[in-house]
Amino acid sequence: MSPLGALGVTLGVLVAGVVLVGLLDALARLVLGPVPLETPDRLTLEGLRGAVRRQSLTTEHPDLAAWRLAPAAYLGLAAAGLALVPVAADRAAVDVEAGIVVWGAVESLTVIAVFLHGWSSNSLLPLLGAYRFVAIGLSVMLVSMFVLIGAALPAESLRLTAIVESQRGLWNAVRQPLGLPLFLLLGLAITLRGPMDYADSADLAGGTSAEDSGAPRLAWQFARAAMLVAFATMAATVFLGGPLGPLLPGPVWLLLKAGFVAALLVALGRLLARPDASRMLTFIWVVLLPLSFLDLAIAGLETLR
Amino acid sequence: MSWADAIFWLLAATALLAGWRVFRTDSMVRASFFLLASFIAVGAIMLMLGAAYLGFATIFMMAVEMMVMALFMVMFMMNPAGLNPMSMVHQHGLAIVAGLVTFAGLGAFALSVDLPSRPLPAGAEVTAPLGRELLGPSMLVFESAGVTLLATMICAVVLSSRSGRFGPSDAGSVPPSIDPTAQEKS
Repeated sequence: MSPLGALGVTLGVLVAGVVLVGLLDALARLVLGPVPLETPDRLTLEGLRGAVRRQSLTTEHPDLAAWRLAPAAYLGLAAAGLALVPVAADRAAVDVEAGIVVWGAVESLTVIAVFLHGWSSNSLLPLLGAYRFVAIGLSVMLVSMFVLIGAALPAESLRLTAIVESQRGLWNAVRQPLGLPLFLLLGLAITLRGPMDYADSADLAGGTSAEDSGAPRLAWQFARAAMLVAFATMAATVFLGGPLGPLLPGPVWLLLKAGFVAALLVALGRLLARPDASRMLTFIWVVLLPLSFLDLAIAGLETLR
Repeated sequence: MSWADAIFWLLAATALLAGWRVFRTDSMVRASFFLLASFIAVGAIMLMLGAAYLGFATIFMMAVEMMVMALFMVMFMMNPAGLNPMSMVHQHGLAIVAGLVTFAGLGAFALSVDLPSRPLPAGAEVTAPLGRELLGPSMLVFESAGVTLLATMICAVVLSSRSGRFGPSDAGSVPPSIDPTAQEKS
């Protein structure tokens, strides 16, 4: 794939995916009712119009550079993650040797983008959201790392095309049953959704985006949806065999699977309750982290067999 | 100058400038993330050298480490949010001497040593040999560093945990009641 072609495909899928996420959220609102206390300007057409029309207000002494750049960093990380995904069994927009490590870097830099977004506005509730998110985000990222190492073991490679190839016989989601559920929790965290949304939740009046307005607010919400697109395709690649499948061409299979993961994530975000941050932190370290060790042990034994 | 040269100098300049800003900024959080920017530029230079795993792992690990560092510095310092201006430098005399000595030493080392030049063939597998080296001949060094880091982390957690050596730090404190009149009743 030529560099320009790769860029075009990545951005096209990203924008189409964001529209799909907006539709899924609207569907969830239709089926499950409106979200209590939610600010009504999520990615809807009305929200788009308002964001373009309204001016963007600032707070007293914000770190304006970090505040304005945080949505750009978030969106850029989503695009970088999406570019790694193999669209066919043997090719990706960016096929690097250590693809899964690059995704790890995307995860950890996302935590920083969300933190800076809340920290830089120099305001109480965004700051609380930022610190709370770092504690939860870093912990659940640790869980996802062990799960991803487990997924790379059968492939004996860190390259994503090799991980896809290793699932030709059996998907990682079946071979390592703990992997996908644990990875989905990371997805909820880095897209700031439902039970793992400790950054932008309604109990902090919008958290890190409580002071956002106008176009920067729209940019942040867009980047959030874009990260869901990147995560869904990555989860489909690592655990559901990515573009592998009978009859239909590879990219279609990838989009179908990614669409399923995105729908699952939107539904989980609406259906699961969010516990207190300190309880969730204990739960992650005492229950989820040992489960990820178990997942790694299962993957290792399976590979040795 | 080829494209690769131009990108290298750009990354090197970024690493140096960001490293300089670490000491000129006025907030611990900003200092941490300037240091991260410097490390990311160094990681990108490692990518240019063909060390894909090491380069990306540097970016990945430094992102986590700088975030944790910012968090712990703010936790242990008097400046609760990290947004109030404070100086990032202290002990000027000692710092100037240490900086000059280090610069002269490393510079002399870089100029005097005959650095190896063994270009690998394009597309050579480098990640697996690195793993074999780390868990083979270099295992003692690798594991010593790992265990030392683990011990450091456990110490940091013990120092910062709610129940420290002298018992729970919030012993006897009562969370504010939801009922605003409860205070008067008790």
